[in-house]
Amino acid sequence: MSISITVNDAKDIATITIIGSFDFSLFNEFRAGYSDLTKPYKTYVVDMSMVEYLDSAALGMLLSMRNAIDADSNIQLTGANAFIKNILMISRFDKRFDIQ
Amino acid sequence: MMKLLCVDSEPVYREIISLCAEKEGVEVKSVASYEEAILTFESYAPDIVTLDVIVKGGSGYDLVQKLKALSGNRFVPMIFLASHTADSVMDKCFKAGADDFIPKPFNEVLFNIRLKTHMRHVELMKEMYRKNKALTYYQKMIEREHEMAHHVLDHIQTRSEKNSEQVAITRLSAASFNGDLALVKTRSDAARLVFVGDFTGHGLPASIGALPVMQTFFDAVDDLVCVNELAVRINRILFSILPDYMFCAGYLILMTQEGEITYWGGGMPNAFIRRSNGLVDYLHSNHMPLGILSASEFEADLQNNKLNAGDTLVIVSDGVLELKNCSEEMLGDKKVKNLISNAYAEKSLITAQQIIEQQLAEYLGESEQLDDITLVALRSPCL
Repeated sequence: MSISITVNDAKDIATITIIGSFDFSLFNEFRAGYSDLTKPYKTYVVDMSMVEYLDSAALGMLLSMRNAIDADSNIQLTGANAFIKNILMISRFDKRFDIQ
Repeated sequence: MMKLLCVDSEPVYREIISLCAEKEGVEVKSVASYEEAILTFESYAPDIVTLDVIVKGGSGYDLVQKLKALSGNRFVPMIFLASHTADSVMDKCFKAGADDFIPKPFNEVLFNIRLKTHMRHVELMKEMYRKNKALTYYQKMIEREHEMAHHVLDHIQTRSEKNSEQVAITRLSAASFNGDLALVKTRSDAARLVFVGDFTGHGLPASIGALPVMQTFFDAVDDLVCVNELAVRINRILFSILPDYMFCAGYLILMTQEGEITYWGGGMPNAFIRRSNGLVDYLHSNHMPLGILSASEFEADLQNNKLNAGDTLVIVSDGVLELKNCSEEMLGDKKVKNLISNAYAEKSLITAQQIIEQQLAEYLGESEQLDDITLVALRSPCL
């Protein structure tokens, strides 16, 4: 499993953890990760601390997630390594996501 | 329903084997001779064969070889049920191509267990074959799509300006096309308009956005549209036609004859200006890529720079920065900067471009180029 989902209803947080390469091969799985949840959450965390590589298709998947989720909900991108953080910043994802 | 071909000269064994196999839900055809075995194998196309070492009209060793050859791509387990049980006999059976060996007289339970095991293997092999066929089909289809994408993009590129001492474009295609696009055209006022873009994704989907971008770009060249307006137009088109998970990183650059640069950059790595003294300055891309933000959110503010005599502006796609050598090390910003600083010391832009192409090839060495590479170099025409 390269994607796992955990929810914390008390804190109203859903966390999507990605392991390995974040690329087009995860397209359906990643989408299912946030759209198959039983209810909307206030905060979504995409945990990338175990992601080694991310390509432009993954950026597209994140944008798609941003569009699918309620504008009031916050999406945090956490744990990105320096290489990935640089990619996120080059594409100015800080404008749509909370990069930590 | 699985089909079993039973080759046995003794009627009693043909009966026992048929009964056992039918109890497992297997359809059985029994034959008594070598000749019948070959004929029935071809017409009946069984999934499993049982046979004896001694076969009327020939030998079991020959028969198993012959049947294996007739199976072609199909995996058909051949089970010997033999009255000769010497090790040497068994050895010869396996060498001839047998998949199993059960001595006669055999225990019914044992036979059933072995039969079930072989049936499972046949199922697995069939499934593997089906999946392999499907994968081969999809692979062929994707290869064709990539060819088509290359074709479309190459056609677009032909409308771009030819290489000269002011403009040099290098595009090195990888096996998996990733949507790089480089367009340069001189306007009627002698200023040059440049677009270097990188679409999300691979293959045909990545090339779809390229067509309207090209049209908008060349219209802008004809109509002397300013850079910020062009950025707005391209963004609007891509925002409306692309699905939300696709976008295009890019630089839009206008350079006047005097070397004045105004540019818009979104989602691209830094571009380089190699100054005539060998130092390197950067153009920064400070926006989100094209096709993400709605018209009301889109920011079209521009940045400026200037090319003086002897300076070279070099724009690279991330395929260059992420080029990996044999030890899996990415080329990276620092090494690219050094390469550029050295290569463009050369007076002739065309020669400099050849030098840097050669150096990129040397860095790559024996390893495979994974992404398309685009490298656009410009010099001021006032030289």
